[in-house]
Amino acid sequence: MIQVSDLTKDYGPRRAIDKLSFSVNKGDVVGFLGPNGAGKSTTMKIITGFMAPSHGTASVAGFDVFENPIEVKKRIGYLPETPPVYADMYVREYLRYVAALKQVPKDKIEKYVDHAIEKTNLGEVQKRLIHHLSKGFKQRVGIAQAIVSDPEVLILDEPTVGLDPKQVAEIRDLIKALKGQHTIILSTHILPEVEATCEKVIIINKGRIVAEDSIHSLATMEKGHQRLHVRLRKDVSDLKSVLAGVSAVTSVTLGASQKEWSIDLAGGEDVVESISSLIVTQGFGLLELTPAKRDLEDVFLKLTYGQESKGGAV
Amino acid sequence: MSGTLTILKKELKGFYFNPTFWVICFLISVIFSWVFPIQLNLFSQLLTNYVMQQGVPSNQLNIHYGVFLRQLSYLNLLLIFVVPALTMKLFAEEKKLRTFDLLLTSPVTSLDIVLGKYFAAWGAVFGLVFVAFLYPLSTSLLATLNWTPLLIAFAGIFLVGGVYAAMDLFASSLTENTIAAYIISIMFNLSIWFIGIGAEVVDSEAGRKIFEHMSLSTHLSALVEGTIRTNGLVFFFSVIVLFCFLAERVVESSRWR
Repeated sequence: MIQVSDLTKDYGPRRAIDKLSFSVNKGDVVGFLGPNGAGKSTTMKIITGFMAPSHGTASVAGFDVFENPIEVKKRIGYLPETPPVYADMYVREYLRYVAALKQVPKDKIEKYVDHAIEKTNLGEVQKRLIHHLSKGFKQRVGIAQAIVSDPEVLILDEPTVGLDPKQVAEIRDLIKALKGQHTIILSTHILPEVEATCEKVIIINKGRIVAEDSIHSLATMEKGHQRLHVRLRKDVSDLKSVLAGVSAVTSVTLGASQKEWSIDLAGGEDVVESISSLIVTQGFGLLELTPAKRDLEDVFLKLTYGQESKGGAV
Repeated sequence: MSGTLTILKKELKGFYFNPTFWVICFLISVIFSWVFPIQLNLFSQLLTNYVMQQGVPSNQLNIHYGVFLRQLSYLNLLLIFVVPALTMKLFAEEKKLRTFDLLLTSPVTSLDIVLGKYFAAWGAVFGLVFVAFLYPLSTSLLATLNWTPLLIAFAGIFLVGGVYAAMDLFASSLTENTIAAYIISIMFNLSIWFIGIGAEVVDSEAGRKIFEHMSLSTHLSALVEGTIRTNGLVFFFSVIVLFCFLAERVVESSRWR
C-alpha cells in the first residue's frame, strides 16, 4: 500500500531523515516510533504530499506522491500534529467542507459526515463552534476530518498528545475500531500507545530506521534473558557473592536499598528456581520475586539512546 | 475546479457570516453618510448659484463629476486600507493556525486554492462596493441620473478592488504574520498609484507611454468617466492574473521548500 525508498530530507545543512526505506501492506496498523525530533513528522508530511523530499521516492496505492499528488491525496486522511480546524466554523459544517475538499460525491457527503461524527463521538458538539471546544474535542474533530472521506490510508501524527487519560483510551479504542478498514500509520513517542494499537513497529532515530518488526518479535528480541526483582526482609550487603554459585546469573545490581536487588540472568525457569531456593535457605526473608520482562520500552531505549533502561520498569 | 468552488464557498461564507465584515460595512456607511449628503448639498448650492460664480469648470455642473466621482475617490481610498484587512487572513492566518496543512494534503491543486480564495476576496470587495453604490442609488429618488456612466464607474472601482485583492492575496501568501501581510498589502496598494509618476521623469516617448500604461489612474479615470477602453481592461486583468500567478507559485513552493 505504501512504499518508501531512500527517502531523504535536508533542512538546510541539517539532515532530518536519511535514506528511509520501508513498506506498509494493506490493512496494517503500523506504529512509527521515535524520540522527539527523530524525523517522524517529516516522513509523514512527505508521504501525504505535503512536502517534497530531497532524494528518494514514496508511493501510495501505486501512485507516486510527486508525480500524481492528487490521486495520492484522494486516498489519504491526515491528522497533523496540530489539528487543522477552523475556529470560526461549526463542527458539522467543517466536516462537510473537508468532505467536499476530499472530493466525496455530493449526495454522499451527509452520510460520510454522520459516519465520522458517530465514530468519533462528536454527536453532542456537532452544532457548536470549534472555537468553543476543549483541546480533546478539537483533537477528535481532527481525527474526524481525517476519516471523513473514508480514505484507504490514515496517517495520524501523535493523535493522543495533550489528551486526558480517558480521552486517550477512547482514541485508542477508535484506532482499534478503524483497524482492518484502513491502512494506518501512527506516529508517537508514547510506547503503550503502540503496544495497545499497532501490529508492526518502525523505530526511527536521528532520521534512520533502527528497527522494523512486529511488536511481538521486538519485545522478545533478547529471548532467554530476563531480569528478576527481589525484595528481602533483611539487609544483605553482598547478594552477588551469595549467588556466585549460579553460573547463569550475569549480573546483580543494588536497588533502592540493601533490601532490593535486581538480578540479570540467562536461562529458564530452573535458574529462577535455584536462585529463590538459595535466597530462602540463606534466611534473608524473601518477600517478593518478580520477573521483569524486557518489554518494548527497553528495546526502544536501547535502540534510540544506546543504553538499557534503568531497572527495567514493570 | 470543484476544489475552487468548495474553497470559494467556504471563504465567502467566512466573509459574509463574520461580524467583522459587517462592522467594516457599517463603518464605511458611517463615513459615506457623513460625506455624501454634504457633497450633495454643496452640489445643489453650486447649481442654484452658478450664474453668479465665475470660472466654475463646466463638468462640475454634472452630478456625475460633482458628486459621484468624489465619492468614488473616497471609496478608492477606503479600499486601499480595507481590502488588506479582508485578505490578510486568507493565507497568513491559515499558515499560522496550521489549517494550511489541510489544504495542502487535500486533492486540490495550488491553482484551485488561489482561485477559490481570490474570487472569495473579490466577492467580499463586491459587498463593499455595493454598500457605496447604495448612495447614488438613493440619490435617484431626488434626481434623474444617467445610469450607464454611473454603472461603468462603479464597475471600474470594482475592478480596481479586484487588483487590490490580487496583490493583497499575494502579500498574504508571503508571510504567516497577519500584521506583516497587512502592511505589505497597503504598500502594494499605494505603490501601484505611484508607478505612473515615472512618466514625468523619463525623456523618451516610448518610456513615457509605458509608464502611462502602467499607471492605475490612467485606466481608472477613463472608466470613471464612463468610457470602456479595452487596453484598460487588459491592464486590470493582466495585473490580476500576474498576482494570482505569483500567489500560486508561492503556495506551490511550500510543497518543495
